[in-house]
Amino acid sequence: MTYLLRRLITFPLVMLGVSVLVFVAIRLVPGDSITAMLGTEAGLLTPEQKQALAAYFGLDHSWPVQYGRWLLGVLSADLGLSVTYGKPVLDVILERFPLTLQLACLSMLIAIGIGLPLGVFAATRKERGSDLAVRIFAMIGQSTPSFVIGLMIIYVLSAGFGVLPAMGQFIPFSEDPLGNLGQLILPSLTLGLSFTASVTRISRSAMLDVLSDDYVRTARSKGATRRRVIWRHALPNALIPVVTLSGVEFGYLLGGAVLVEQIFALPGLGRMVLDAILQRDYALVQGSVLFVALNFMIVNLLVDLAYVMLDPRIRLGGRS
Amino acid sequence: MNRFLTRLLDHSSGRIGGVIVLAYILIALAAQAGLTPYDPLQQFRIERLQGPSLAHWMGTDMFGRDVLSRLMIGIGQSFLVAFSSVGIAALAGTLLGLTAAWFGHLWDGLVMRLMDVLLAFPAILLALLFIAVVGPGTFTSILAIAFVYTPIFTRVVRGPALSLKARDFVDAARTFGSSTSYILSRHLMLNLVAPLTVQVTLALAWSLLTESGLSFLGLGTQPPASSLGLMLSDSVNLMEMAPWLLVFPGLAIMIGILGFNLLGDALRDILDPRSRRALA
Amino acid sequence: MKPGMTRRLLACAAVVAGLVGASVAPAAAATLKMAWAQDATGLDPHKQTAFSSIRLLELVYEPLVRLNGDLKVVPALATEWTFAPDAKTLTFKLDPKAKFHNGQPVTSADVKASFTRILDQATGAAARANYASIASIDTPDDRTVVFNLSQPDVPLLTAMGSVNAAIVPASEIAAGKIGTAAIGSGPFKLESWEPNSREVLKANSEWAGGKVGVDGIDIKVLPDENAILAALRAKQVDFALLNDPLVATLVPRVAGLTLNRKPVLSYHVLQLNPSRKPMTELAVRQAISCAIDRKDILDTALLGEGEITGPLTMPQYRSDPNTLFCYSRDLAKARKLMADAGYADGFSATVIAATGEPPTAAAEAQVIQSQLKDIGIKLDIKLMELNVYVDTWLKGDFDMAVALNGGRADPYSMYNRYWTKAGNLQKVANYIDDTLDDLMQKGRVETDPAKRKEIFAAFDRHLAEVSPWIWLYTGYAYTAQQQNVQGFVPTPDGSLFGLAKVTLK
Repeated sequence: MTYLLRRLITFPLVMLGVSVLVFVAIRLVPGDSITAMLGTEAGLLTPEQKQALAAYFGLDHSWPVQYGRWLLGVLSADLGLSVTYGKPVLDVILERFPLTLQLACLSMLIAIGIGLPLGVFAATRKERGSDLAVRIFAMIGQSTPSFVIGLMIIYVLSAGFGVLPAMGQFIPFSEDPLGNLGQLILPSLTLGLSFTASVTRISRSAMLDVLSDDYVRTARSKGATRRRVIWRHALPNALIPVVTLSGVEFGYLLGGAVLVEQIFALPGLGRMVLDAILQRDYALVQGSVLFVALNFMIVNLLVDLAYVMLDPRIRLGGRS
Repeated sequence: MNRFLTRLLDHSSGRIGGVIVLAYILIALAAQAGLTPYDPLQQFRIERLQGPSLAHWMGTDMFGRDVLSRLMIGIGQSFLVAFSSVGIAALAGTLLGLTAAWFGHLWDGLVMRLMDVLLAFPAILLALLFIAVVGPGTFTSILAIAFVYTPIFTRVVRGPALSLKARDFVDAARTFGSSTSYILSRHLMLNLVAPLTVQVTLALAWSLLTESGLSFLGLGTQPPASSLGLMLSDSVNLMEMAPWLLVFPGLAIMIGILGFNLLGDALRDILDPRSRRALA
Repeated sequence: MKPGMTRRLLACAAVVAGLVGASVAPAAAATLKMAWAQDATGLDPHKQTAFSSIRLLELVYEPLVRLNGDLKVVPALATEWTFAPDAKTLTFKLDPKAKFHNGQPVTSADVKASFTRILDQATGAAARANYASIASIDTPDDRTVVFNLSQPDVPLLTAMGSVNAAIVPASEIAAGKIGTAAIGSGPFKLESWEPNSREVLKANSEWAGGKVGVDGIDIKVLPDENAILAALRAKQVDFALLNDPLVATLVPRVAGLTLNRKPVLSYHVLQLNPSRKPMTELAVRQAISCAIDRKDILDTALLGEGEITGPLTMPQYRSDPNTLFCYSRDLAKARKLMADAGYADGFSATVIAATGEPPTAAAEAQVIQSQLKDIGIKLDIKLMELNVYVDTWLKGDFDMAVALNGGRADPYSMYNRYWTKAGNLQKVANYIDDTLDDLMQKGRVETDPAKRKEIFAAFDRHLAEVSPWIWLYTGYAYTAQQQNVQGFVPTPDGSLFGLAKVTLK
């Protein structure tokens, strides 16, 4: 418990570190919003025009002043204005977030829905043919980069069937549930496949570990059925590493999946951050990185909590 | 060492993984030594975008360059990035982790908080930022991947180092008059080798994946050099016209990562004390 | 997606929309559904430089004159115009039917206010330099505008054919509302604009230019061109703008889709830096020009999707490339020139290129590298992220640069920044001689079209011969359309103004 408490206390400190790091990093990138907007035409600007543009983009103050202003804004939930979108940064982020969130949830669902049963199944048939098949599938799945899977899917679809999933604009679930799922199912599969493999592997080995533990053997000797032992006694314990792994992965996914978004041309958070960096949209880079880091840390904190709740040994005895 | 190798070879995934990694290293070395079917940079522009044939086993790309030759060079490039970045990360991480555990107090707090900050970024995002600052290129992607992976090594090392430090044998060594640096290097390292080795193999798989991803986004290896991710990225718009540009590098990446993962698995089985006990 | 499934999905969407109670008006049959990859960045016609903005604003605002498919000057808000023989006064007669979207007629006072705004330093107008010769503006009556020039300036007329010289209501200028509300006089009214997402245009029924062919245009921003292609395939889009030649070439393979190609004004070029050794030597620059095989680069990097060009890319001034210096590859001549300059063994140099801008830059650099190897030049390719490239380019800090530079409808406006002694990008060009400067100044004052053509033909030949840069080719502007779209006329400046006359079957 003290561990969690310490995590909570250092939380704002880490966020402050993140804010400083991203603020400095994006300013160290050569070029600025003006060259990003005008390209080589920037060479035709008069000094007055340059001055006016610098003032418009908020580049006419020293770094500490810019940082101070930004931080004060952040503390009142004002992340500043994105120069590429001409809108508040928070609005831009919240527009992109539903897609990213849904993509993350769907691929988690796929991964756990397929991976967990597969892992448990393989564990109960240790060293048999079916176990081997599952392990080979998991190994290959884990070794295939998601963008390679995505590219292959797109190639097969477009060359073989002449169809492609709807790209470009996000179709919100609330507006068109079928269209939304039709759009996201392939990207989710792409993202979920390699994670399915990890879940399969982890749940298999966790299950094997637990099955060899003393208390499971005790339960078995007391006459509990095999099925009951697996589902009632072993599975909850085997879930711990699965939950940890899923949580961490979910945190990553909430940061956007740059490559898969790029391949399926989806307007998610990942591509937005990449574009913002290329466009030197300082406020958007800062805001979105902060947002992503915050999500990531909250999810990790929740994972730790779940860890404590799930493991009876920790719950009762405390962590040694 | 000999026993270790025997065990690795007895382990079926260790065997397969080892063969793959060894084969890739040999291919990379052969390509470096100039043993490719063609010069990977030579443009046979009349023969551009030809499918696999006897002359060009894996076809040619949009410049009429031989895909097989570029794939061989590309494997070398990807391995160079993977090994150097993981090497740097392991070294830096070990150093930071050990000193943090050993000196404790302020230094420990400082290092670990800094690592917390870095770990609060999703890995790819951190790499993107790093590359944006330094500018894209092979060397940059090595540093970026190392930068991203250092915190993980630091944590991997600090944990066991802390518990080892508290144990008697370090104290004992100390009372027998061994110098601090001797204790550090000898005892601690021996007990850290296992988790480190496993982590290194996994990191290699991850690094290979990240390198290809970065190159795919145009942020890693720069043309006319070749890397697996770059080859894939060049293939995207030509996919329907020249699918071989997509298939071969895709498979090459997959098999390479598979090799490291299998090897990592085997190492974990052999080196992890828990599973060793289970086997015994 | 199978057609049946699409229909089911659409039906389902309609039901859901109905349930949610969103007011989805039944899509009018005559609304053109359009897609492009890059959105406008602002609504102030005087300040926008990005092509993406200009394409949108050309549908909403009108300048005094317009450039047609061959870039000839044709009437827009002005019905007629005359240059005084000394090219120092330019008089326009306005169309009496012309009205702004707010119902007010377009008068000479609006013209004067608009140009006063453009010429005001504080506005930061994008093309201010092009109108700098305007000394004063007279408005003898509501329909007549007289521009008095400080010096003869014939290119001014063509420069006025840009939406950067759009006429906006004087009342809107006074209210400081330019850029927030888009009140123009063009064929379409901007109903709504969601940056980087969509815009809705409605036909302007009172447009002085005639009847608009469609009721409106719904523009979607799809940031990825593959996505645009997918939308075209699925018939979600009637008309689309494409940039990537690799994507565009896939369009004709889809049944029912038509691809329009039009050579554009912007040109792909290998810029040499004649202030750096050994490019200081004329013979070395010429050797490079002779060693470059333009057709080969075009075929490899752009899959042949373009046209080889000399320095002048506009249809009226374009010369037959085969008449220009070394436009067919001549390795023997190149080697001899290298030897003459004392570089028989070649030399090493670095060429810079921007990643992804244009998408072909990396490929061009690689082919050029391989071609120049044949005369012993060892080229190092340095790919830079666009912003870094722009910085380096503006400083003139390179040996060679692969570039895609923008073009203008008039040769003088296009090149005075580089190839005049006072050009403000001389630092980038790093080369000037008396002949070039002289021809440019002559072209500026000559009012006779035939003589202007001669002057600029000489300029074209001379520039290709002294080879400070190696001009390669121009790409195409692509539009893709479904069969039901009829009557679109593309222009070399990429304008979508032709949409005003498009009809849907």
